[in-house]
Amino acid sequence: MAVNIPSEAELVNRFWPRYKRLTLLRAIGVQVIVSLLGISIILALFPHPRLDAWIIIAIYITISTVLSLAVTFMAMKPVKELSNALVHISGEPSSQIPPNINDSYFVRSRLQPLLKLIYAMATSQSGSTSATSTDPDTTPRTDVAAHLNHTATGVVMLDSAGQILFANKSAPISIDANGKRSLDLIFDVDPTIEQWVAERREHDIHAEKTWRRIANKITGEPNRRLFDVYASYEKGSEAEVIITLFDHTNDYQPEDDDLDFIAFAAHELRGPITVIRGYLDALNDELADSTSGDERELFQRLIVSANRLSGYVNNILNASRFDRRHLKIHLSETKVADIYATIADDMTLRAQAQQRLLSVSLPEGLPTVAADKSSMSEVFGNLIDNAIKYSNDGGSIEVTATTSGDFVDVSVTDYGIGMPSNVLGNLFHKFYRSHRSRETVAGTGIGLYISKAIVESNGGKISVRSVEGHGSTFTISLPIYATVSDKLAASGANNQAFLERSSSGWIKNHGAFRG
Amino acid sequence: MAIKTILIIEDDRFIGEMYVRSLKKAGYEVDWMVDGNDGLIAARNKPYDLMLLDVMLPERRGSEILQILKGGAENLIPATKVIVLTNFDQSEQARQIMEEHADGYLIKAEITPKKLLAVIEKLDRAA
Repeated sequence: MAVNIPSEAELVNRFWPRYKRLTLLRAIGVQVIVSLLGISIILALFPHPRLDAWIIIAIYITISTVLSLAVTFMAMKPVKELSNALVHISGEPSSQIPPNINDSYFVRSRLQPLLKLIYAMATSQSGSTSATSTDPDTTPRTDVAAHLNHTATGVVMLDSAGQILFANKSAPISIDANGKRSLDLIFDVDPTIEQWVAERREHDIHAEKTWRRIANKITGEPNRRLFDVYASYEKGSEAEVIITLFDHTNDYQPEDDDLDFIAFAAHELRGPITVIRGYLDALNDELADSTSGDERELFQRLIVSANRLSGYVNNILNASRFDRRHLKIHLSETKVADIYATIADDMTLRAQAQQRLLSVSLPEGLPTVAADKSSMSEVFGNLIDNAIKYSNDGGSIEVTATTSGDFVDVSVTDYGIGMPSNVLGNLFHKFYRSHRSRETVAGTGIGLYISKAIVESNGGKISVRSVEGHGSTFTISLPIYATVSDKLAASGANNQAFLERSSSGWIKNHGAFRG
Repeated sequence: MAIKTILIIEDDRFIGEMYVRSLKKAGYEVDWMVDGNDGLIAARNKPYDLMLLDVMLPERRGSEILQILKGGAENLIPATKVIVLTNFDQSEQARQIMEEHADGYLIKAEITPKKLLAVIEKLDRAA
């Protein structure tokens, strides 16, 4: 007996060649033994046969060998076909064509039902996994749960009451004092997963949604993880909501670290700015009576410069947030005049310190707009700052507003150096500054870039008209509140909460820096 | 309720001194703590009318102090109003969590002592 190595011995496709070889060897062996036995008997009975007898014996042996081989092949054929079929369904490599069940040979030999059975078994086996999992009695739940603990992907299942039925080890779950488990994620977007599930219960049978970049902890806390969250909802299912969480901390964390660097740099810059602005403001009052000559004007320049510095830090923070899609805008109903009022003193001082005539005429009867007051005031500041920069001593700057369709247009016009038409298209790109202004005027080229970003995030538009040598007009179009109030009201909790808090006299000055 | 006593928790010496100077000039009683632990202890030991709370503090972050004082089952300083004063650009989530327990949240670089006084007066009137 030949000893096969175990891996070969286990292969289905090894059976047939070996069986064929052994069977043929046996058949031929038996034939040889029978022939030799026959010749021995004849020689014993007739010790000296004639040549004729030898010829007859040879012919007899040949015919019987051929016949017995033919019978052997016929007997082996069903085995061959069945093993071929089995090799086929086992998925092992095979050079044979799988037996055609409708071949006339199979019909005649009555082998057809056997092949049918083999093929049918193959089909039912491949479908068996799904068949068992839909049947709750036979679900090997503990096994599946154990296996799911070995993946880095979080899996959470919620029942129709929103309780956690199952959560694997990788899922971010917190357990409160009563042992109640809840999903430990901070959804800083609308809708949150709770809102989404509540909506689906109302309206849908089946739904799916993906959230990107959802964190389990706030920035700066240890072991913070960032996930892409995929949720599927199936009404009536035992596990109504299935949440899959893909841990992308390694992809998202470096971006957050960059963001942290800018946040820390801004923190460092703002410290000295706070002190400079604070004491300038205080000393400006306290020394009002004792300054003389140009000292007052120099004081004003200090104040204006410190204010501008703090504006630039805000521009850098906002641009950094916008580039990473972190800039968040909270719209509320407000008047253009109220937006301007927050920066009016600063702008008046700036214009005065640089000998510009700033005239602001915002009509009383303008409709209210939907805007983020704080960030929009920075846009106004950027545009007026530019108008001052790109005009001449003694030049006038006009801030006006009119209604145009569903928008209120706010324009800032200067009568300064203006721009040729070929630079207008690039004007709102980051770090773009026109050729000439690079030589004559200081600046970073970030102000218009972030202004456009903020205005468009507010649902508005920004545009520019300019004539070289005659000045420029920048126009911001902000949506009239009444035209978007429905959408705003429906846009979710964040805006709603903001509106409510603002109206209760809540104090803040940071609206633009949404992290 | 009129605001009279104010606790400042601020680690930047220049900024702290500046606020103390202008608040005292305006007639408030001011205590100033430099680190987070001392600030937390001071806030629990004396019922201040107002606390000006920095975020990036040594020993204990402002967010932590606020969470301990106002975020638990019981408001430990019900009589004290809180204005968070920071120059740190916090994330949206971190800020929202602090805003929940504070009466105001201001960027220091955007506010001068004079404006801060105006904010405190406004808070006082609203109460």
